[in-house]
Amino acid sequence: MDLAPVLDGFAVVLEPTNLLYCLIGVVVGMLVGVLPGLGPAATIAILLPITIGIEPVTAIIMLAGIFYGAQYGGTITSVLLKLPGEASSVVTVFDGYAMARQGRAGTALGIAAIGSFAGGTISIVALSFLAPLVASFALDFGPPEYTALALLGILLVATVSSGSRLKAVVAAGVGLLLATVGRDGFTATERFTFGNLNLADGLDFVPIAMGLFGLGEILYNLEQRHNATQAPTTVANVWPSRQDLRQSSGAIGRGSVIGFFLGILPGGGATLSSLAAYAVEKRRSKTPERFGKGAVEGVAGPETANNAAATSSFIPLLTLGIPANATMAVIFGALLVVGVTPGPQLVTEEPELFWGVVNSMYIGNILLLIMSIPLVGLFVKILRVRPAILAPITVLITLIGVYTVNNSVFDIVLVIVFGVLGYLMKKAGFDPGPLLLAFVLGALLEDGLRRSLLIFDGDATGFFTRPISGTLLVVFLLVAVYPFVATLRNRRRQEQAQDTSDPNTKELV
Amino acid sequence: MTTNHRARRWALSGAGLTLALSLTACGGNVGGGSDSEEEFPGGDPITMLVGQDPGGSTDLIARAAAEGLSDELGVPVTVENRPGANGALAAQQLAGEDPDGHTLMVYNGSLAYITPLAVGEGEAPDIADFDIVTGLSLDDYVLVTAPGSGFSSVEDLAAAGRPITFGTTGVGTGSQLSQELLFAQADIDATAVPFDGGSPTLTAVLGGQVDVGSVQLGEAIEQIESGGLTPIVTFAEERPSYLPDTPTAVEAGYDVPVQQSRAVFAPEGVPDDVMQALRDGFQAAFETEGYQQLNEDNLLTPLEVDGEEIRERWTENLDNYRAVVEEYGIDLGGDA
Repeated sequence: MDLAPVLDGFAVVLEPTNLLYCLIGVVVGMLVGVLPGLGPAATIAILLPITIGIEPVTAIIMLAGIFYGAQYGGTITSVLLKLPGEASSVVTVFDGYAMARQGRAGTALGIAAIGSFAGGTISIVALSFLAPLVASFALDFGPPEYTALALLGILLVATVSSGSRLKAVVAAGVGLLLATVGRDGFTATERFTFGNLNLADGLDFVPIAMGLFGLGEILYNLEQRHNATQAPTTVANVWPSRQDLRQSSGAIGRGSVIGFFLGILPGGGATLSSLAAYAVEKRRSKTPERFGKGAVEGVAGPETANNAAATSSFIPLLTLGIPANATMAVIFGALLVVGVTPGPQLVTEEPELFWGVVNSMYIGNILLLIMSIPLVGLFVKILRVRPAILAPITVLITLIGVYTVNNSVFDIVLVIVFGVLGYLMKKAGFDPGPLLLAFVLGALLEDGLRRSLLIFDGDATGFFTRPISGTLLVVFLLVAVYPFVATLRNRRRQEQAQDTSDPNTKELV
Repeated sequence: MTTNHRARRWALSGAGLTLALSLTACGGNVGGGSDSEEEFPGGDPITMLVGQDPGGSTDLIARAAAEGLSDELGVPVTVENRPGANGALAAQQLAGEDPDGHTLMVYNGSLAYITPLAVGEGEAPDIADFDIVTGLSLDDYVLVTAPGSGFSSVEDLAAAGRPITFGTTGVGTGSQLSQELLFAQADIDATAVPFDGGSPTLTAVLGGQVDVGSVQLGEAIEQIESGGLTPIVTFAEERPSYLPDTPTAVEAGYDVPVQQSRAVFAPEGVPDDVMQALRDGFQAAFETEGYQQLNEDNLLTPLEVDGEEIRERWTENLDNYRAVVEEYGIDLGGDA
């Protein structure tokens, strides 16, 4: 591996402007991590337009900081208030809050910060080695490979995501349909444009993201009753004892690995990996009964995993141009706004941007580790800002912001339409994430499929004879078939169980 | 907290904008007469629309020209990007503006003489509805292939003994038209594979996903010079000075000159004295070092002719292309 670009990347990060934006990013990230409801995807969506005026690498460093910073922030409220700031910190509530009630809130936060730092850092190191490897296959990635990858991505988004599977499929379906709007890139035929030139290039990604995540979330949060919870004033003993560290070191190691791999998968990401890490820790433990009653591994595992995943989910985006989760989809949009097309060429064509962003994560994690311990009390105070003050300001910024991207009033209308849609979706229990991801992947899938068929002269077997696309399609088939096989096996096992002994066996999970 | 802060910044910049606008308005009414230097009619700022994203060649040209024009006319010239539908969206906005010379647009030739061949009747704007201020420059297309393909001339492609695939930068672009015309005239069985712009097209050519592709010279020159890509022909009328050793398609025996061309448009009905002031202003801007450096950096050939000559050239291009496309039965829209 050529180290020169990696080192140049550090030079990029250490420029004062970039350091400053890295700091702004992680602080904003921590803030939104603390605020329940307002997530990193929403924040990044709302802040997209301000990236126009600044250097691409600086902009992405800041937005990335928001994402992994939020993973730290989410922990604080989970532990102190039993109020997860982020979905990825939900499982931290179980043992984190229990520890807080035993007077060990400081230990829980300290372990979470150390775990987050370890998970994040291990993941960056792995990313640094893996990303150029993936990118070295860049030129072998033609339309058939993108078709297979998009197909796999959409399948995983719809099936692996946490929450209702049917609703995720419905949302993804809507996203795919929305991707068809616009002048067809192959025949120049108008599709669903109703003669409106604003729609000729299709629906723009930015107003959709800002509407669904920004406006939609704000509207939804306004509806929630605001319970101003009194935060505990003192958090003592942030440095975990040697015994705590010894107890959680295994959990941190396993959490890093789980988080790293689940983060790469489309549809995976921080939330899923924190759930998986918790489950693994509980299963491995010799004393599983301690879980839920303040087991330090129950905090260390998930908190490490969600940070490792937040970092590794940059791999598919930066190397293949495929966003692995909703936040990555929004960062994908940010890259397009600043004039960078994420894809296999990124590492070689924009090494400064690539390594600048990757290396900024080391610095960001150090900043977060330093900040998260002494500033806990300050961040908790943010919870007292009334939504009635915050919401109108945020809405205004969103609407002005989207106008500045394309100087288009039409985009403002789009944000409002998608804001209302996002609100209704959340209200009805639909996650807007799969919609946005399918919207991005849908365009990739259609273009890739049609290009491939042109290249293959209409012969679809070409997909299976190329090594990379063939392999991806086999994986696709396995993932698609697995749930059926699993149900079948479950049913058979259940029948056997019924045959042998107890007819009232509980459902096997 | 940060949100509040940002809101304040927005509010401040809004107030600043209002102040600046009112100051400019005052300058127009009061200060205009007293200034000894010749000022552009009215002294109001000029808006230059660009139908493409910031950072692309059209945008860079617009910004360089705007800077020179502003210095010459003594009024601010701001570039406003209004991307969409290959520039048709910006053209639509331009047509609705007052013809007072204060709203202009950098118009791409492809929108005038190639897009109409690909999209339905009435979906592309008609240049007859605009006044043309001045020509700007020409941008050449070059047909490239990966060295591993073994192709180095049009004859090689014809002798491939199999249908070939060619990457285009999109439907209704010069990249598509140039190759469609070449392969039709050379009687080569070829399939168009449209990509989304120049960079993905180049990647596909480099990776051997398609056999050849036609891209703008400025996008390919680095790879050509480093040996990463083999140029086959350019589609220029005569060899561009930037690539002197590569034959043009015309030299290779095929009559297919296709170039991207750019010009400054205004809404129809600009008064003569205003038009003259604009034309003089642009000519002076073209003389500036910054503008000439931009042409050189982006491998653009200046075509700083009068607006009416542009109208003739572009109309003739459209007629010619329409005739050849019909003669060879090429359908830019439907054949993909």
